[in-house]
Amino acid sequence: MKKSVVSKEYQKLQKDIIELQEQWKTSLDPDCVRPNLDKAAMEAGVPVTALAAIDFDISLFLQWIEDIGALLSKYQPEIETSMQSLKNLLDEETAKRWIDEAFAFNYIYFASFAEENDLDGWIPQFVAETVLRPYLQLTAVKVQDEIHHGVHGAGCPVCGEPVRLAQLEGEGKKVLHCPRCSAHWNDRRVACSHCGNNDHETVKILTIEGESAAQIQICEECKGYTKVIDTRQYIVKPTPAMLDLNTIHLDFVAQEHGYKSAGETKQTN
Amino acid sequence: MAEYTKYVDVTKCDGCRACMVACKNWNDLPAEPEKFQGSVQSHANVTANTWNVLSFIEHEDSKGNLDYLFRHSSCFHCSEAACVKVCPEEAMHYTDFGTVNVDSDKCVGCGYCVQNCPFDVVQLATYKDKNGKEYKKAQKCTMCVDRLEEGMQPACVTTCHTDAMEFGTQEEMLKKAEKRLSEIKDKYPNAMIYNPEGVGGTHTIYVLAEKPSVYGLPEKPKVPTSAVVWKDYAQPIGKMMLGATSMALVGAFVSNKLFNKEGKGHEEDGGGSHE
Repeated sequence: MKKSVVSKEYQKLQKDIIELQEQWKTSLDPDCVRPNLDKAAMEAGVPVTALAAIDFDISLFLQWIEDIGALLSKYQPEIETSMQSLKNLLDEETAKRWIDEAFAFNYIYFASFAEENDLDGWIPQFVAETVLRPYLQLTAVKVQDEIHHGVHGAGCPVCGEPVRLAQLEGEGKKVLHCPRCSAHWNDRRVACSHCGNNDHETVKILTIEGESAAQIQICEECKGYTKVIDTRQYIVKPTPAMLDLNTIHLDFVAQEHGYKSAGETKQTN
Repeated sequence: MAEYTKYVDVTKCDGCRACMVACKNWNDLPAEPEKFQGSVQSHANVTANTWNVLSFIEHEDSKGNLDYLFRHSSCFHCSEAACVKVCPEEAMHYTDFGTVNVDSDKCVGCGYCVQNCPFDVVQLATYKDKNGKEYKKAQKCTMCVDRLEEGMQPACVTTCHTDAMEFGTQEEMLKKAEKRLSEIKDKYPNAMIYNPEGVGGTHTIYVLAEKPSVYGLPEKPKVPTSAVVWKDYAQPIGKMMLGATSMALVGAFVSNKLFNKEGKGHEEDGGGSHE
């Protein structure tokens, strides 16, 4: 049976990060996130977090960056210097900017921040994204009962992350899970989760030998793919973030075959 | 690591045999065409290449009505397994999950495990090497240990459409069994949880609708005393004096004298006949 291609050590680090994020999330005052459930905006595909009022506590934000720095240094002691210089660089203004840019997934900003400050390219965005997630996850917890369906092509209805992971639940229902904010919503089993195409001729399944619980749903119309994992076969259900990480080989397979994690929107007149 | 248990509620089983197919499929076991058994049951018992058999029992209940009973049967994965006790090569062993497995590299095909299993679930399979030489290896249900290592449930459990089988920690499954027993007591007065103490409890527990013997199970199975004697006394001395190969020959002789099940049939306590 195929084991995950991700090393045990990296899996362990990610588990620790997820645990830390869970602690951060529960330490937040639930009222710091005030979602505005605008039905019309949601139906147009605007993610809930874009319209939610979120009170970010900058001192907490900086504290979390220290926490994540300490955790990373535990696994990779040579990173400690970078984390220390990052701590010195981050004042209130920069932290505010980081929140905005992490929200917008502005990798160009973080790449240039790293370059200007002589940091490893991955560090600023990784750290910013990690400390932003508890707010996204808290938003998802608050609105989960109102989220039943997504808008095809718009990504996660809570945080806007492109769709790439579905789980089979109950009697075979396809439920999309967001590895970023942990929101989940229903989708039709045979439909492409990106463009909504439900033509059985063009929505196909890629299976991998030795993978009994995973397959890749692909769409010839928009060239998008979704990993579909039958988590009913698991003894303990992994978190969407861990599941996404442990099935990264499926992303490679799909992308090697020319499919993308965000489907292309067809041009119409 | 947590010890896991397979829970089988025979009162929910509808005899679809999907568990048999899933087992064959996952473990790449060859098909074994069988003669008609006189009932819809496909195989008389588990074999070296069929680790999971659905047994169909026509039973007359206390009111004289016909009841058709089904039972998923495979290895029980005893906590104090006779097969582990008697194995001279330590091929039979406990896994981290509390289940019992065969290490094929170590197995010499001596068959002591087959003779001593109180449930008759271990069998020898015959293989041929490239020179045409035949050799034997013990085979039985592994509880899909390769799946467990990946955090997944056994294949038979995942395919069960009536939820007659579930998989989880020992504690959870025992609780589930007790709850279910209280629900079915009115309908099946003889219902019981089968998790025999004589073998230290098992990692496959059943909620049975009738007495174990109705399902062809020993009422009070235990590790045969002869097996304890064999492992604790005969084997260490023998191994020291003779080495493994000669030991297998002596072992075969001792085993035939002491343990041979053949012709003795099954007594109700499952282990008493070996003494």
